[in-house]
Amino acid sequence: MNSISSFLPADPAKTIEPIEKSPGYWSSVFKRFKKDKLAVFAGCILVLILLMAILAPYIAPMDPYAGRTIRRLRPVGTEGFPLGTDELGRDMLSRLIYGARYSLMMGVTPVIAAFCIGSLIGIVSGYVGGKTNTVLMRTIDVFYAFPSVLLAVALSGALGAGLGNALLSLTIVFIPPIARVAEAVTTQVRNRDYVEAARASGASALTIIRVHVLGNVLGPIFVYATGLISVAMILASGLSFLGLGVRPPEPEWGLMLNTLRTAIYTQPLVAALPGAMIFITSISFNLLSDGLRSAMDVK
Amino acid sequence: MGLGAGSLLDLSGVSLSPAFAQGASTLRIAMTASDIPIPNGQTDQGAEGMRFVGYTIFDSLVLWDLTKTDTAGGLVPGLATSWRVDPADQRRWLFTLRDGVTFHDGSAFDAAAVVWNFDKILKADAPQFDQRQAAQGRTRVPSVRSYRVIDPKTVEFVTAAPNALFPYEMSWIVMSSPAQWEKVGRSWDAFVRSPSGTGPWKVERYVPRERLDLVKNDAYWNPARRPKTDRLALIPMPEATARTAALLSGQVDWIEAPASDTLPQLRSRGMQITSNVYPHNWTWHFSRIEGSPWNDIRVRKAANLAVDRAGMVELLGGMMVPARGLVPTTSPWFGKPNFEVKTDLAAARALMREAGFSVQNPLAVKAIISPSGSGQMQPLVMNELIQQNLGEVGIKVDFEVMDWNTLLASWRAGARDPSSRGAHSTNSSYFSQDPFTALIRHVDGNLHPPTGTNWGFYADPALDALFAKIRSSFDDAEQLSAIQAAHAKIVDDALFLFVAHDVAPRALSPRVRGFAQAQNWYQDLSPVFIA
Amino acid sequence: MLIYLAKRLVYTIPIVLGVSLVCFALVHIAPGDPLVSVLPPDASEALKQQLMAAYGFDRPYYEQFFKWLWRAMQGDLGTSIATGRDVTTEVLRAVRNTLILAVAATIIGFFFGLLFGFVAGYFRNSLVDKLASFLAVIGVSIPHYWLGMVLVIIFAAQLNWLPPTGAGPGGSSDWRPDWLHLRHLILPAITMSVIPMGIVARTIRALVADILNQDFVQALRAKGLSEFGIFAHVVKNCAPTALAVMGLQLGYLLGGSILIETVFSWPGTGFLLNSAIFQRDLPLLQGTILVLAMFFVVLNLAVDVIQTLIDPRIQRA
Repeated sequence: MNSISSFLPADPAKTIEPIEKSPGYWSSVFKRFKKDKLAVFAGCILVLILLMAILAPYIAPMDPYAGRTIRRLRPVGTEGFPLGTDELGRDMLSRLIYGARYSLMMGVTPVIAAFCIGSLIGIVSGYVGGKTNTVLMRTIDVFYAFPSVLLAVALSGALGAGLGNALLSLTIVFIPPIARVAEAVTTQVRNRDYVEAARASGASALTIIRVHVLGNVLGPIFVYATGLISVAMILASGLSFLGLGVRPPEPEWGLMLNTLRTAIYTQPLVAALPGAMIFITSISFNLLSDGLRSAMDVK
Repeated sequence: MGLGAGSLLDLSGVSLSPAFAQGASTLRIAMTASDIPIPNGQTDQGAEGMRFVGYTIFDSLVLWDLTKTDTAGGLVPGLATSWRVDPADQRRWLFTLRDGVTFHDGSAFDAAAVVWNFDKILKADAPQFDQRQAAQGRTRVPSVRSYRVIDPKTVEFVTAAPNALFPYEMSWIVMSSPAQWEKVGRSWDAFVRSPSGTGPWKVERYVPRERLDLVKNDAYWNPARRPKTDRLALIPMPEATARTAALLSGQVDWIEAPASDTLPQLRSRGMQITSNVYPHNWTWHFSRIEGSPWNDIRVRKAANLAVDRAGMVELLGGMMVPARGLVPTTSPWFGKPNFEVKTDLAAARALMREAGFSVQNPLAVKAIISPSGSGQMQPLVMNELIQQNLGEVGIKVDFEVMDWNTLLASWRAGARDPSSRGAHSTNSSYFSQDPFTALIRHVDGNLHPPTGTNWGFYADPALDALFAKIRSSFDDAEQLSAIQAAHAKIVDDALFLFVAHDVAPRALSPRVRGFAQAQNWYQDLSPVFIA
Repeated sequence: MLIYLAKRLVYTIPIVLGVSLVCFALVHIAPGDPLVSVLPPDASEALKQQLMAAYGFDRPYYEQFFKWLWRAMQGDLGTSIATGRDVTTEVLRAVRNTLILAVAATIIGFFFGLLFGFVAGYFRNSLVDKLASFLAVIGVSIPHYWLGMVLVIIFAAQLNWLPPTGAGPGGSSDWRPDWLHLRHLILPAITMSVIPMGIVARTIRALVADILNQDFVQALRAKGLSEFGIFAHVVKNCAPTALAVMGLQLGYLLGGSILIETVFSWPGTGFLLNSAIFQRDLPLLQGTILVLAMFFVVLNLAVDVIQTLIDPRIQRA
């Protein structure tokens, strides 16, 4: 999870390049993606997990919050509780289903938020350049100078436990790398001949950004951001594990892993389930992101 | 205030002597604290600090009887052989000191040393005054007004008002060696690197955050309490799962507070599980300010009758005693209350109906809880169970989750303070080893915040009168009957949601022998040996 | 070249200042009582005020900041509230322990990462590649603290092969690389190495495949250069990136050790950070974060400089 740089050698801002799109680009991307069976499979799993999260109230067999201590820590395969029960006698299957909501939210929301804010900062400073660029990017660099886990833990530790604070800290952690990628790509695009030409012909800055910059820039940032989702999920579950993330009794996978920790001797399988869910989701996001990257031909 | 030069390689703890002499027996204990309690004397880390560092390296004038396992032991002579109150002036106490006691550094313990140690925590302009020890010790002796040497074997203490509970206060204050403090250069930072007390254990090596190695004191003044083990190693290990793994892998011989879910595994691997009830209290402390729903005695009683304590016992793997009052029923202070604290849902629903509430039309209450904390047992699961139970009789509980330190700060500030966020109860577990901490400080009408810790702003003249009687009864029997009457009244008025007493589970390797767990926060490690 | 290095160095100064400001601010946005760890539960308000003044918490923020920064520049990070110990000493001791762990993990992770990466990149799209790539993606996807717990249960609690916690039988103060201490290092180092293993493997695989695809390699091959010669060429071209990844990973591991140190009670910076957060020990928290962030800044700088020295083409302003 220390791996904000996990998908790119050293510093992403130095190596990501804008995509030069030709007509039929997206259909060829789709064709290439379809051939990558592993990525398609990962995508299907993620769709399933997403459906599970959306439909949780309809498919969960029981109330994820209702427990009976009398039936606590039942093993996997107990009648009525196919995946056993947790330390308060709550149905593990239902909690894992509902948990998808929290865990996906904690993985995806900060990345989306950081994607919007980071892209905005990066594109603006890359396009405007000059003093604005210096001020914005040096500020970003300060945050980029912290290892991601350290920054996330320090922020959450300072703000205190809770879902909102954890989301906020993760968002702040992911803005700098995305902004740096966006800035680097935008700067490259800005200096291209066709942009110079558009500017010379009197197109407004907004039009240029919309037509020439966004189209070429968002793709690489998007691929980069999908790779961050798995990092965000593991980081978020880690925060919950430390007691700095979601608070009980919410069925978030990292928190469930934490509260079931002491049961790992008596019901190892039950205690391992939330960890397995985090693992499956995060590996699916990684495989999907790999597939997208090679399909879209982003380095 | 450094522990030495800040070089990467200056990592020495206390001494560089090899800690692991061959053939010597070592008892290795994993504590729940995240750091070694500071071996300066008036140590930190709460009761666990006093248990493993306070009363091992040091002694107080008055000690606890740690030999009884079937009832709560009382106070016994420590560095003082006897104490008495002056019949002519009940504010004046005389403590007679033990003869022939020496500190680990060889210097003699006498009346001057006692006065020096009280100056250490109470006299801000004394050279040996230590802010750190003062913060720990000062609130333990609120009655003390003055003290002086009468002769080398006698010390006089004067209290603010007659206070029969004064010896309990004295049990808190332990004696560090003045001579050692002088010898190491009149510095507490230097003192902790080679501490010296009068206790049954001497410090051999201190590695902050990692390990404290103690060796037995063969010259301990009480021959009965000379340690049977050569060495004692204390290791901080805040993670319950890590402690279990450490015991199972043979890294330690003794762990404090194993998680209840690991007990079956520990038992199956031949570990001994010891436990015993002790003066610990896990309650919901009700707010009694205007508008609190707990002002209605029917609601208070209904809640007490709704809690499924038997279910909670199962939840905690048997590691709790259902509470029937503020003190366990084995305590001499329990008395004879009329209200029986038990589970009776029908009676609880009837009371709630009478008060105008039902499951369909529930009463909403807001409760402060913490996710963890010293003595809090397993607060989240326990509170979730209570939330379920109360829901079944028509009390809808909404939690305000605070981390342990924030909860303590709001507990000090009181129910009216914004930091308590308008909650109707708080959930802080209590040390309740003496009548003041067990009963008085929570409900005494004169101890409203910020003066005291009567968080709920409760006041009842009848109860206050009983408290005054406890403080002014120098006759033991008379004092006991006042304590019993006060406790019975607290139970009958259901002033708290009585839930549980911890039983301080410990898991010991099969090789550990000789340990008898006393009904006390502190334990005697001297008779323990490794087979 | 020299100008670039000088520029890079000068550019680090505002970063360092910014980082210190963030460290200081982070800790002060926190709600709650900074003295809570030292006050007994029933301490009076007067005692609290007296201590607030003694620790300087009653001064304005900017004054506290500049005082803190000035002292920090002289190597004095203040005194821990919870323990009264010198923060610099504590942090340096912890940094040494985390460094032991992080270096061990980097070595293990780097070794297997290189192995998997080279094999996968060399035999691209073969079965070996699939296997190695899959192992690598597992490395970056697994919740490693969970892996650590599982390893402790198997190898410490059940099999009794290795100790589950701590840095050595007598703590870390007399740490030396002998078996008694290395035994304690094995489980946490393996757990920690999983991430760099995955990252290094993925990076190297992409790089190797890329280099092998380049026209001039094909040309070299056509000219009859031996496989070993091509291999040497690949290694030479991978080295700067591999080195950079290793340096940064070391930095990430140093700063991100908190979860693993919590699981293994390893007496390093993560462990320190954890107790500082939960005890609300502000000077300790500030000091630990600052030192870790500075380490990372310096590592970044070192990586950049070394990369530039090896391969001047990378140089960018």
